[in-house]
Amino acid sequence: MQKTLYIFSNGTLQREGNTLCYITEEGKRFLPVEDIQEIMVFGAVDFNKSLLEFLTQHEILLHYFNYHDYYMGTFYPREHYNSGFVILKQAEHYMEEAKRLTLAKKFVAGALRNIEQVLRYYERRGIALGDTLSEFTDNETQIESITDLSELMAYEGNHRETYYRCFDKILDHPDFPFDKRTRRPPQNNLNTLISFGNSILYTIVLSEIYKTHLDPRIGYLHATNFRRFSLNLDVAEIFKPIIIDRLIFTLIDRQMLTKKDFEAETGGIVLKEKGRKVFVEELDKRLSTTISHRAVGHPVSYRRLIRMELYKVEKHLMGEESYKPFVSQW
Amino acid sequence: MAGSEINVTATLIWYYYICHREVWLMARQITPDQDNSNLEIGRVIQDQRYAREKKEVDLGGLKVDILKREGGELVIAEVKKSSRFKESARMQLAFYIKSLKTHGVIARGELRFPEEKQKEAVILDEQLEQELDRAEREILRIAYLEQPPRPEKIQWCKRCAYNEFCWT
Amino acid sequence: MFVIVVYDIAEKRVAKVLKKSRQYLYWVQNSVFEGEISEAKYKKYVTELKKIINLEEDSVIIYNLRTSKYSSREVIGLEKGGQSNIL
Repeated sequence: MQKTLYIFSNGTLQREGNTLCYITEEGKRFLPVEDIQEIMVFGAVDFNKSLLEFLTQHEILLHYFNYHDYYMGTFYPREHYNSGFVILKQAEHYMEEAKRLTLAKKFVAGALRNIEQVLRYYERRGIALGDTLSEFTDNETQIESITDLSELMAYEGNHRETYYRCFDKILDHPDFPFDKRTRRPPQNNLNTLISFGNSILYTIVLSEIYKTHLDPRIGYLHATNFRRFSLNLDVAEIFKPIIIDRLIFTLIDRQMLTKKDFEAETGGIVLKEKGRKVFVEELDKRLSTTISHRAVGHPVSYRRLIRMELYKVEKHLMGEESYKPFVSQW
Repeated sequence: MAGSEINVTATLIWYYYICHREVWLMARQITPDQDNSNLEIGRVIQDQRYAREKKEVDLGGLKVDILKREGGELVIAEVKKSSRFKESARMQLAFYIKSLKTHGVIARGELRFPEEKQKEAVILDEQLEQELDRAEREILRIAYLEQPPRPEKIQWCKRCAYNEFCWT
Repeated sequence: MFVIVVYDIAEKRVAKVLKKSRQYLYWVQNSVFEGEISEAKYKKYVTELKKIINLEEDSVIIYNLRTSKYSSREVIGLEKGGQSNIL
């Protein structure tokens, strides 16, 4: 598996010879272009057109974030996997209300099933989550009867809130109270971690979409306006609880992140550099962790599961097989 | 598929002798996963072997690996990673030769498996031409199906770049 | 697979070997590279190296550890390079 390159420091990223080179005050560091699959830029990094041409040649995506770790955009090289047929099918499923609702429901149902798995795990470990869990047992049937998108969004929102309220029970840590979900800017440590993790996951799903025939601009649950990416947001819903939330619980539980890793900035809380590095390092490990997959016949990494999820969406669009979201087994 | 033409290409001939589902997907530009290591190795071999000899010639959408004359005769050779897909390789080469024939060029083919140091001649006779015609008709029939043929576990699945796509 | 490459190359060709290695692997210290590499890229790298070096005068040794999972790596003194993907 090629690597994701994360850049938090300030410097210049450029093409040198036939490879990548990152230059800081400390000197030059060469990065083998053949081993890089995507670049995430958080620091103040300079680059030029010749770098972008080089990234295009090697089909490397570059995602960049601003000073507050907000996602700003992606350099999405010219696609090499184009299938007019798939794009037409994608649009058809968006334009026809019933088809769009069907897919949107599946993303919600998948997300809630994975949330349920996370809660179950902690309940088995002795945390009293019974009341909350009962709200998650009948999701699929309830979702079935929903008739429009706004109702579905509300249903999803309510359940996610219920889930977030369990974070205090799960974490039980004075430095990481949940309080309420706050974004842009997040108002406490835990919200900062959730936002940071989610925005990285969105870009990872986007990088995987780049390697399929799907167009990231046509999503189903998240409003498509053909100007920004939305399909990656849809698919990320499935994986947020099992990749990002679990990671956050682990980091706090093992004290790999403490309140010392955060600081208050104008208007919100940010994760300091050391904390960000710990976070992405652990996320990287998690994404390359493999689980056994009977149907495919070989173990697959979490990152690969994201790709396979996209394949399932593709097959759904082709009308071949109704999409069944991935549900974690533990 | 409304409003689009599917043409039989050498690639489709290749897949027809391996997996009909792959024919359907390829015909719609639903290409396999390029990260697949077998595909990657195939490309490397393609790029490296015969590099000095190789003159890729484009004949109306056909890419021929090597063109040279041996004793005044045109020989087109196809280089392949291994002889595992010999039938596909043979028919693909026959397809090239037949296309050349429609352009009024008479040629004979040679299959090469550099990794195994093997060669095999391909001569276009009446029987081979009839088989090609049949395959081309079948390919079009498959490609225009509303749905792809269902996946079936065959010996190639394990190493196929579509493996995860089909079996996820 | 995980490989370690060490080389000893005549001066007029050493820069080319260095450049080529940077494309595929991480620089560790003078004339040493390491990294994960796919089988196909490994083939490519070796073929390209063979084009650069003089087989009569130069020497390249590649250790293939298959996976770095079961090996340990201890640094005494400075870590000058290495393969961190978080900068």
